Amino acid sequence: MDLSIVIPFYNEEDSIKPLYDAVTSAMKELPYTYELILVDDGSKDNTLKNAIELAQKDSRLKVVKLKKNYGQTTGLHAGFQNAIGKYIVTMDGDLQNDPADIGNMMNKLGEGNDICLGWRKNRQDSKFTRLLPSKIANWLVRNVTGIPVKDNGCAIRSYKAETINKFPMYSEMHRLLPVINALTGASFTQIPVKHHARQFGASKYGLSRIYKVIIDLVALKTTFSSFNKPLFGFGTPAIISGLLFLIALASTFYVWFTNPGYPLVVLLGSSALFGILSFTLVFLGIICHLIYKSGNLKIEKMYKLKINKN
Amino acid sequence: MKKSYELSAIIIYYQKYEYDEIKSLYESYKQNLDKTNLSYEVIFVIDGNMPEVLNEVKSIANENENIKIIKLGRWFGDATSLQAGFEASEGKLILTLPSYQQVEAEEIPKMVENLKGYDMVIGWRYPRMDGFLNNLQSKIFNSLIKTFIGTKFHDLKNNLRLFKREILNNIYMYGDQDRFLPLWAWRLGYKVKEIKVKQHKADYRQKFYPLKSYMERGLELISLFFLIKFTKKPIRFFGSSGLIIFSLGTILGLILFVQRLFFDVPLADRPIVLVSLLLIVFGILAFAIGLIGELIIFTHAKDIKDYIIEDVYQFNKETESKDVANL
Repeated sequence: MDLSIVIPFYNEEDSIKPLYDAVTSAMKELPYTYELILVDDGSKDNTLKNAIELAQKDSRLKVVKLKKNYGQTTGLHAGFQNAIGKYIVTMDGDLQNDPADIGNMMNKLGEGNDICLGWRKNRQDSKFTRLLPSKIANWLVRNVTGIPVKDNGCAIRSYKAETINKFPMYSEMHRLLPVINALTGASFTQIPVKHHARQFGASKYGLSRIYKVIIDLVALKTTFSSFNKPLFGFGTPAIISGLLFLIALASTFYVWFTNPGYPLVVLLGSSALFGILSFTLVFLGIICHLIYKSGNLKIEKMYKLKINKN
Repeated sequence: MKKSYELSAIIIYYQKYEYDEIKSLYESYKQNLDKTNLSYEVIFVIDGNMPEVLNEVKSIANENENIKIIKLGRWFGDATSLQAGFEASEGKLILTLPSYQQVEAEEIPKMVENLKGYDMVIGWRYPRMDGFLNNLQSKIFNSLIKTFIGTKFHDLKNNLRLFKREILNNIYMYGDQDRFLPLWAWRLGYKVKEIKVKQHKADYRQKFYPLKSYMERGLELISLFFLIKFTKKPIRFFGSSGLIIFSLGTILGLILFVQRLFFDVPLADRPIVLVSLLLIVFGILAFAIGLIGELIIFTHAKDIKDYIIEDVYQFNKETESKDVANL
């Protein structure tokens, strides 16, 4: 199997048939053998029924039914678990992506890239509620991680299956999956893709995602950049706070000797606080080592796999 | 030849809790288990050192068939006992029964009937006939759960529960958390049904627990809240609270700094400086703990099972008829 197309659906009973038609007609032009994996993420409407009806007629379809609605990341993950293709293409289930772009993306992967991302050149969304937050989020991702992804919200993406399966997927990591991959050295490229306005159903995103993107990014960046730092990145803050402890302590003694009777509570108290902070940070850093050693996912192994392959 | 059972009933004898006359309780359960027309086994789990219980259970085992006894070496808690009983069980359905007369045993067949279309059926003692205070504390506990977790169960302390085997295959229970099993099942996506069951007359008595156990319940609620809401995104919980506390401390510090610089208010004898520093230190630590949480999740996420694939449908010419029948 060359290609697995993974599409998570949540309450998209109207989109499923047109999307299936679009994918089949796009794939007819292409020389790849493929499977189409429809993940029903606990829909409450007829999504599952419609998907099964299609699957009964076409053995290239797999329908994965999840127990309840877990969110898009989980939907994709469940799809990846059932994918057997050498390459994986992901898409949104709401017809905003055009399967006709799959051909171009596969060509890019054929040229040796690990990941090919789409970016929506002419977005058909409202300016303030969708475009602006998305611009801010993309800018943040670029600047925090240093990975120049143009459009983190674009769902049509293609990966080599082996790059994708190394990574844990949780929370809302699916959006940042290419960034995580790129951080461990996967090569990626981006091509402009067509974007259609939503035809059926309602959009499922809001403004609140920017905050989530920021905080996820901080966590991600720290995890990836800290494993080879002293005490998992807690070393430097511990030293700074240790220095502050020493300065405060020294000035306490200085004031005590030069200016008897002067109140010392604040100086002594702050020195104690910084001392506690410094030691606690060192302890936490040591705990990080324990966790990392006992964990089964090693960041340096991800790099190594990448090197072995080439 | 090894028989496989349709239902395994698990009764946990728990050192901390009271229990009622074992033989007559077993007889009443047995009568009603017979009415379900399922083949069943009964598993007694004795949590800790309770020689008199062990003796009595042994004599029951001598007189009856299909009984297993598990004795834990010391007190481990009700959820660990459940896990131990589960590992020894063979039934496709698991039924947990209270070790004291909590509900009328005649409700057992009703539980089995109600399982159709659901993955778990739990009892809800209704109407509650025990004392006002007992009723109140149960109401408070269950509505706290409703507030923090967002789902409503009326009677989590009820031990009468019937569920499919796969639930415990997917949820690891440990310690003293037995009462929260329906919540975990609900979170994973299992369909949980609550049915009203008759409370046993013996359960009407007023029960009070030591203050310590109320505090334990409170702490359990906090950790449950965190585990259910933020398991895979600890930084969103710790990081946000850390940032808020840190900013409070910083703002306070800036105010004090400005006062010192431009209004000549001396700082050395103002304990509020320490408050500001404390907030900053606490904020940093909370954030750091959030990062550690993220590291744990990142390095272990592949092992954490937090969703369930109910079915995968794929059809081809040969298997078509079979798969369709499966629907």
